[in-house]
Formats: sequence, C-alpha cells, structure tokens
Amino acid sequence: MSPASPWFRTPVALLCALPALVAIPARAQEGDLAERLYQSGERAYTAKAYKEALDTWGQLLQSAPKSEFAPRALLALARHQVEVEHKPEAAMPYLDRLKADYIRRPEAAEGLLLRGTLLARQARRATELKDAMAEFNRVLDLFPESPAVPEARFRLGRAWRDQGQWGRALHQFMEALRLHPDAAVVPRAMLEAAETMDLLEDLPGCLRMLQRLRTTAPLSPEAQEAAWRMALRVKHRLQKPPLANEGAWPAGRAKWLKTPTLLATAPDGDLLIYQYDLDRAFRLRHGDLAPAGPGAVGAKAMLASPADEVWLLSKAGLIREQAAGLTPLGGLSAITGAALDRWGALWVADSKTPALTVFGQDGTSRTVASPIANALAPLPTGGVVIAADADRKLLFLDADGQPRTVVPYGKDLPAAFRYVIALASDGAGQVGALVEGGDFGEGVVILGPRGEVLRQATFKSLGISGRITSLALDRSGGLILCDRRNDLLFRLN
Amino acid sequence: MRLRRLLPLAFLVALGLHAQDPALKDTFLQAKTLWAAQGDREGATARFEKVVEALAPKGATLGPAWAQMLCETYNWLAVLDDRSPQTKPRAQGRLQALIDLNPDFEVDRALTSQRLMALFDRLKGEKYAAVKLSYAPEDGTLSVDGRPGPPLARRFLPFGSHKLVYTRPGYAPAERSVELVPRDAKTVDFKLDRVSSAVTLYVQPSGTEVLLDGQSLGRTKGHAGPEAAPLVTPLGLRPEDFSEAFVIADLAAGKHQLELRAPCHRTRVLEMEADLATPWADHTLEPLRLEASKGTLSVSSAWPGGELFLSGQSQGPLPVAQLPVCSGAYDLLIRFPAGGFSRRITVEEGKALTVEARPKPRLAFLGLEGETEFTGRARFLSLLEGLGDRIQQVAYLPAHPGETPREALARVKASREAELILLATPMPDKVIHRIELLVATLEGEEERLMVKPLEEDPLGPLVARLNAVPPLHEPGLGLSVLDVPGEAGPWVLAASEAAQKAGIQVGRALTQANGKPLPSVKALHQVLDTAKGSVTLSQGGAPVTLPIQAEALEIPLGASNLCYPAVLAQLRLQYAGAKGDEANLIRLNLGLGLMHFRRYDKAIEQLRDTRLSTVSGVSQGTLDYHTGLCFLRLGNAYQAEATQAFRQALKYPQATLLGPDGPLVAPLARQALEDLK
Repeated sequence: MSPASPWFRTPVALLCALPALVAIPARAQEGDLAERLYQSGERAYTAKAYKEALDTWGQLLQSAPKSEFAPRALLALARHQVEVEHKPEAAMPYLDRLKADYIRRPEAAEGLLLRGTLLARQARRATELKDAMAEFNRVLDLFPESPAVPEARFRLGRAWRDQGQWGRALHQFMEALRLHPDAAVVPRAMLEAAETMDLLEDLPGCLRMLQRLRTTAPLSPEAQEAAWRMALRVKHRLQKPPLANEGAWPAGRAKWLKTPTLLATAPDGDLLIYQYDLDRAFRLRHGDLAPAGPGAVGAKAMLASPADEVWLLSKAGLIREQAAGLTPLGGLSAITGAALDRWGALWVADSKTPALTVFGQDGTSRTVASPIANALAPLPTGGVVIAADADRKLLFLDADGQPRTVVPYGKDLPAAFRYVIALASDGAGQVGALVEGGDFGEGVVILGPRGEVLRQATFKSLGISGRITSLALDRSGGLILCDRRNDLLFRLN
Repeated sequence: MRLRRLLPLAFLVALGLHAQDPALKDTFLQAKTLWAAQGDREGATARFEKVVEALAPKGATLGPAWAQMLCETYNWLAVLDDRSPQTKPRAQGRLQALIDLNPDFEVDRALTSQRLMALFDRLKGEKYAAVKLSYAPEDGTLSVDGRPGPPLARRFLPFGSHKLVYTRPGYAPAERSVELVPRDAKTVDFKLDRVSSAVTLYVQPSGTEVLLDGQSLGRTKGHAGPEAAPLVTPLGLRPEDFSEAFVIADLAAGKHQLELRAPCHRTRVLEMEADLATPWADHTLEPLRLEASKGTLSVSSAWPGGELFLSGQSQGPLPVAQLPVCSGAYDLLIRFPAGGFSRRITVEEGKALTVEARPKPRLAFLGLEGETEFTGRARFLSLLEGLGDRIQQVAYLPAHPGETPREALARVKASREAELILLATPMPDKVIHRIELLVATLEGEEERLMVKPLEEDPLGPLVARLNAVPPLHEPGLGLSVLDVPGEAGPWVLAASEAAQKAGIQVGRALTQANGKPLPSVKALHQVLDTAKGSVTLSQGGAPVTLPIQAEALEIPLGASNLCYPAVLAQLRLQYAGAKGDEANLIRLNLGLGLMHFRRYDKAIEQLRDTRLSTVSGVSQGTLDYHTGLCFLRLGNAYQAEATQAFRQALKYPQATLLGPDGPLVAPLARQALEDLK
C-alpha cells in the first residue's frame, strides 16, 4: 500500500483535528453561559426572586456541570435551604454533591463547613458528632488557606466541648483566635475559650480572656455577654460580699403578684415568673410583666429554652410556648426540677422516682441512675446539679449523669440544712440553693462550680419571713426569691 | 546702608594663572633675567622656546594673562633670533605668530629694533587694518563679531566686514559695522544712552545665589581684584575674600528685595531703597558678607557596620559624634550590611541633632511583569514608582529603567541590596482588571495581594500593610486588671510581687492614675501609652508609684493588616542589633513568623536554641510550647521531640501566649501531651 499523497493527507489531518478545534470554542462558550447563568441567579436571589434564582442555578448545574460556577451554584442552593427555607435536610443533597464532585474547588471548603455544622446540629449525643468533626477537620486539612478555616476551628472546639473534652476544645478556640485574629469568629472563640478555661479551673485565665474580649471587640454581642459573666464570677467567687436583703423587688413592689411559685432566668437575662393563681408564666422586663407562653395549671418546674421559649412542666405533662398541646412526661407526678441539655434533651427530676428521666427530642425517654432528686438545675458543663434530701447531698453530675462532685448538706457552713427547696444556676458556673431545716434553717447558699460555698445567709439574718418557693440568680450578682405567701419578690445582693 | 558711587570696572584684572602650570611663569621670568642680566642668549632662548612649546598649541583658548605672556615671548624670541645670523630668518616667523595671536599687541619698543618694528608693522598691515575707538562712558565691554573684550582705544581687525557692539550695565547697547580694506583706517565712536540704574555687589562667599524680588539672577563667582580694595580694606578684609563684581543691571523703578543664599551660610535679605533705581546711576553696595551657619549631627546605632551618607556624600562609618554640618535639609542615609535607614533631616544653626538609626528592610521593586497593555497601566506604574513616598517602615528601591523583572531579581539576589522584593503581575483575562502584587523575602517567604488598577488607590492596602509593624512589647505595670461593673476603676485581679510590695492591693479598684480619675482598663492603657518612666496609682489610699515595664508580646499570626514578609525582614534586622533577652524574644517572634508561613523546620531552627530568662508572660514556656507545636506539624517522626518540648513548657506554669495577660500555656501543653500519648 502506497503512502497517501500530501494532498490527500492534509484533509484527513484537518478532519482529525476538527473535534479539538471545535471543542475549544465550545468550552469557552459553555464557560460564558455558566457565568451568565450564575450571575443571573445571583441577581434574582438578591431581588429575593428565589424561585427564579433556584431555577437558574439548577439550569446551570444541568447545562454546565463542569464549569467553575457549578460548585458555586451548589453552595448557593444549599445555603438557601438552610438560611431561607430552614430545611437543613434539603441542603444535604447539594452539599453531598459538592463534596463528591468538586472536592478540589475552593467552594468545597465552605460546603464541608456547612455540612459539618448541619451534622453537628443534628447530633443528639456526643458520639454523633464524629461525622461533623470529620468535616471540620477536612476543612483544616484540605483547605488550610480557606476563609472557612477559622469557623471550622471554632466548630471543632465546640464539638470537643460538647464531648467534655475541654482541653482539646480550648486548644481549638485558642488556635482560632491566635491564627486568625481578624476573623469574624474571634469574639465567639474568645468567649468560648474563657468559659472553657473556667471549666478547666483557670478562673484568672477565664477573667483575663473575658477582659481581652471586651477590650478587643467592645461592640460585639459577645463583649456584652462577657461583661456579665465576668461580673458574676468576680462578685461571687472573688469579692464574695455578705448577702444583704434589698427588700421587695423591683422598686419595693409588694403584693403585685398572684402566688408566685417558680422563677427562672431567660437566655437574655429576663426573669420568668410563674404565678400559680394565674396558671401561667410571665416575663419581667424593665419592671413590666408580660405573659409568656401558654397557660399551665399547677406547673412544678419552669425553664427557658435556648430559643427563649418558656417550658412549663406539670403533672399533666410539658407545655411549650411554640408547640401546640401537651407532651406527656411518662407519668411523672411529683416533678421537682427540669433542665435542657446541649442536645435538646429534657432532664426531669421527680421526687417519687429514684432516677432522672431524660426525654429526647424524638419523644423517647431514658432514665439516668440517681438518688431521688428534690431539685435540679443545669450546669455549664452540660450536666446538672441535683439535691438529694434523702442522702443530704448535692450531686454535680456530668453530661452522662455521672457524679463529679458531691457536696454534703452543710459543708463549709456554720450549720447543716436538711432540705433543698429549689436550685438555680446562672450560666457562669454558680449554683443557688434555697434551703431549709436543720440548724441552718431557711436560707440561701451560693455554690461555685465545684460545690464550694461562695456566699450564704439565713432568712432570719436577712429579715425575710414568708414562704419562699423558688430562686433565680440574676446577671448583676443578685439573687431573686419569690414569696408565694406575700405575693412579692425579694432581691438579695 | 551706606552706598558708594560706582567705581570703574576693571576688565581682565587679576585673572589668575591657575589654569596653567605656575612653573611656566617661572621659566618665562628666568628667560627674561638670563638675557637682561647675564646676556645668556642661548639660555634665554631655550627657556622662551619652552614657554612657546607649552602655550602655542592652546592658542585661542588661552586666558588673557597667558596670551599676554605668549605674545611677550614671541616678541623676545624675535629680538633674540634677530641678533644671530643663523637664527635671523626665524625672527619674521616669530612676529607673524605674534600678530596671528593678537594683532592688538604692542611690541616693546625699548627692546625691539626699528627694523624689526617696521617688519612687524608691515606684516600686520598685510592682513589687518586699524580701527580707532572712543567710548562714552568708558569701562564697558566691546564685542567684535560676538567676541567680548576690553574697550581698547585701537583695535587691529582683519580686512572685511565687522560688527562692533559696545555694552555697559545700565545703558542701551550700541552697534556699529565697519568695512576694512588694506591700508585702511577707521574711526568708531560709541556713545551710550542710560536706561536704568546698575548695582554692583561684592559678596562673601563666592558662589552665593543672588535673588532679586524672589527671582534668581545667578551666582557670584571668582574673586574680587584690586578694584575692590578701597571697599574691603577699611573693613580689615582682603579683596580675594569676596566674589568678583556681580552687577544687577536693568533695575526697575521702586523698592526691591535682595536675597543672598549660600550653602552653609545664613541667608541674608536686604531691602533696596527706591533711590537705588531712580534716578539712573551706578551704585556699588558695601561688601556683603554672609554669616556661617552650622549645627552638629551625631548618629549612632546598635546595629554594626553602618556608614553615614548625607545627601549622597559619605561621612564615614558609625558612630558619628558631633559632626559639624551646615544648617539645612539633608537626606540622611545609613547603609548597613543588611538593611538601610533613611530620613529627611534638618540641621538647625547652633543646634545639635542626634539620630539613633535602626535599619529598615529594603524593598526592591522589580517592575511590572510583561508588556501587556491595560487601561490604567501608566497610572499604576507611576503609583508604584511613588510607593517610596508612602511607606515609612521599609526603604523603597525603585525599578531600574530598561531592566526586566527577571534581570532585576537576579541583580537583587546577587547584590543582596534589598531584603524584600515587590513584583506586579497583570492577571491574564479578556480585560485585565486584576494585578497581583507579590511581596517576598529573599529567603522565599511570600505574600500575594490582588488589586484593581482602576480603583482609586490600588496600592492603599499594600501601603497600610507595609507601614504596620507589630510591637514586641507593651508598657505594663505588672498588674492584671478587669472592668468590673460597679467598681470605680480597673479592678486588680492580680499583681506582681513588686507591685504588691509597693502597696498595690489585689481585689481593689484603681481609682486614679497620675492624679486623674481612672474610669476603665482602656483609660489605664492610654495612660501607659503616654506616660514615661512610672505611673502613680491610687486605690483610695496612699498613692503608689510603679515603674513602667516593657512586657513581652507575640506578634499576631494571620493578621490581615500585616505584611508578613516585611515583618520577618524587620525582625531579622532587629535581631542583628539586639542582645540578651531582647534578641531571644525576637527569635521567638521570628519563629512565629515562620510558623505563619508553615515553615516549621525553619521555625524550629529559630526556637530550639533560644533561651528566655523570663518565666511568666511570654517567656521560656511560650517558646517551648511553640517548639512543640512545630515538631507536631512536622509529623509523627518528631513525636519524641514534640513531647520533650511540651514537657519543658509545663515547667513554666505562669507562661502565657499572646501577651502578659494571655492564656496560660500549661493547659494547652498538657492537652498536647495527652494527645501525644
């Protein structure tokens, strides 16, 4: 066979090269189209024409899946589901695709971070944080220069903290603020680092970090938070002034309530008051009372959720502010206290049940071995503190219900009390106990995070007479008592 | 001011002979003496020949005095040659050379024979015609065909047309044309019309700039001749101490301001009264002297090897103490073996200026990569060229014209003339709208910044970052204070032993600092920033004075307002001039800077052999902790070393990160050890 002549070979070569020659402009055209589609979607999204935006980005993903704008579109779609639709589960497919198909793209870092955040939010126990932490670690390992890194470090720190690994948590918070001093997450990381230092028994370090936060980011919400957290710690743990009765509070008001029996502190610091005769809770803000949540007859415990929702527990069950109807509490009939943990589970103490009952968000319940608890309050560790009158002990339980500190009634006091009527905590590690009986008699005791007595007083010494049924620790270092007999509140300072 | 009437200006007086060899003048005088005193014709001829040999080749370029000497030499040689039959033929040539050099030269009639004079006149008449001149007023300048000269009464000019112009300051010039033919003789009379006053100055020093009503008229030059003697001798001065006459002509009517400026002298301003300008006349001002104006400059540096340059002139190695320097502004530059220091200084008369020089890193701009055209390129380049005027912490070296960035990089690397480089690269796109600015150390630590060439100040972020230098110390009192609500001032959480001994009570608020209310921690920081030496504090009782201490800090890592290559370059230079704990703190921060670039191996080099004597705050424990972190980052191979470093860190329970009030190292080190198990 003779070789083809040059005149013959040229068209063949041209034909062979044609696909490549055609492909270059085609790819360029596809890139242009993808960019235009992405920007069109962005324009629509900015104008809150969400459907148009989502359709346009969807079209982009179909028509130009290999373009650099495809991962951006996926991320935008996922964020929309989380931030606007509030359907995190609907975001997951987008994030899964982003992770699977575009792991080399910078958008993958943001996608992994969002995915980890959603997984952490879904977790209902410490062991379920594993996947979320894996995503955060991927961000750190695969995208060390990404702007997502500081947030990933912070989230990783939170995950360690939720597992009770405070040393590891502190390391991550410190790395977040040390390596990314300009990141938006820094005030949050400082606040968390300070709180973690307190858990690690480094009170001076905690206070210095809170001061640093107030100095470096004075206008941040975290700085406001730091201010009261610092004030409480200094007052209760370092200054420890003797408790003094400021009298009827606020502003000397007397007989203004209808049998107040329960007190609680909302996340924003407002006082919640349950008035037995009115069968409902009220929020006290700037001296004004406003109803909070639905009515509940005979409530025995009251708490505020992190979303600032009032929960009331009675023999009949749980009544939530934002939920219709009553959630049964498994027949608990003598509820003495309740607290929400970091996972959204409700810990309930009942004076007729020799265990704590924990109700999950999914409606399931479990019991945690414990003596009969006559009062209960949450702790910043993720655990709770309970009062066991039968054993005459206060038990500081960790997040798994294991006792970490046991404080006999009357320890560090001139005389022992016999009963704990109510417990309250202030979110900064202090626990207030309303006590009675024994040689100590009626009074209050403020304990530190490790059960040490910080401040105490008897009602006799304070000149208080009445029937005090509940207490709350305020954010100025004061203690509020409710007197059901005289329909008023007292403030101790 | 006393004024004198104008003295006639002498032309060509006292023109020095410095332009030629002074020995030649001796040779000329020896020749004359040999003939006149000893009759040594050969000896005299030989010496005159030497003079001719030296001066004749320079001919028309000779100054008036040397030209006069050459003319006389020709005259002498013609006479000597004429006395010997062997040399007689050469005499005519000597006379011809004399005429060619200066036809106006008058031969010495006492010396020259009648025959030779007749020959001289005949030879001159073959090419030149005489022009008789008269001047009113005298002492002006006569220019013949554009060549200025003294106003002689008779000139011999070549046959043909000539233009004669007579000028004198304060008068309108007069011009005449003459046509000369053989055996012709012309007479030309000049009478000038006065048009303004003229003011003559003699100024000390020569070289002074003369400004009239703010406009520079030029500088004085040369040295005054004997004509200035009547003016300067009564003052006990010599004419040569002053410049030659500087004439201000065409003085307009009215008052004027005369300003005299000379380097190293105090500027002098004189008001000239209106009667100097009108009626028109010639005036000579009293001799004007400018007073010397000097200060002293002392320059020192803790860094070795510096050489001082003042406005480009080397003043020798540092330290320089009490160097007398003319008052005025200078560009002070100190070249160190690494780094430089520059500052614009002003030395004031009679004052001592002291400069402590700390070298700055030098940033060499390599240029704009590529030839790609884009909108705003010229503006962008001009902004880059002007970058040096905007940065204070780094000395800027502009790009060399015609050099490519690659060549510039090779040059900088070879010469080590800079510690930092800057390269601008347009990012390829359909339309170029992004420029990448790369700042890097010669060791390879680099940062990139993307800017838009058309934005208002594309270099603003780079300038801000280059000008930001993180401090290594902060002023402190050994106190840890908090803003506690309800307290009158900063509440003392902790105090050093010294502060407690001085009287500070832990658990109480500080209410006053230096006698003024102290409402917050921020206010205390402000007091510390401005106070010097010590601060007097009150907690309600007796005031307590505490010395201000420099408390060690870590540089922040990952801060967007810092240019880390520049930070590293700064630290490297600082280290060269530091000692003891100061040097070790710099090394700790150098290690941190390298950790920022993830160069953990290099960071370990800095950290592992560094020892800080301090045990609290940013101290040895801090250093050990970072050493451990670096080993951790290097992977499993260095677990043992990391463990060792963290264990070391635990020995310093008061060591902190960030600063004196930062978090404790110990719990972090403890956790790291836990994780390594």
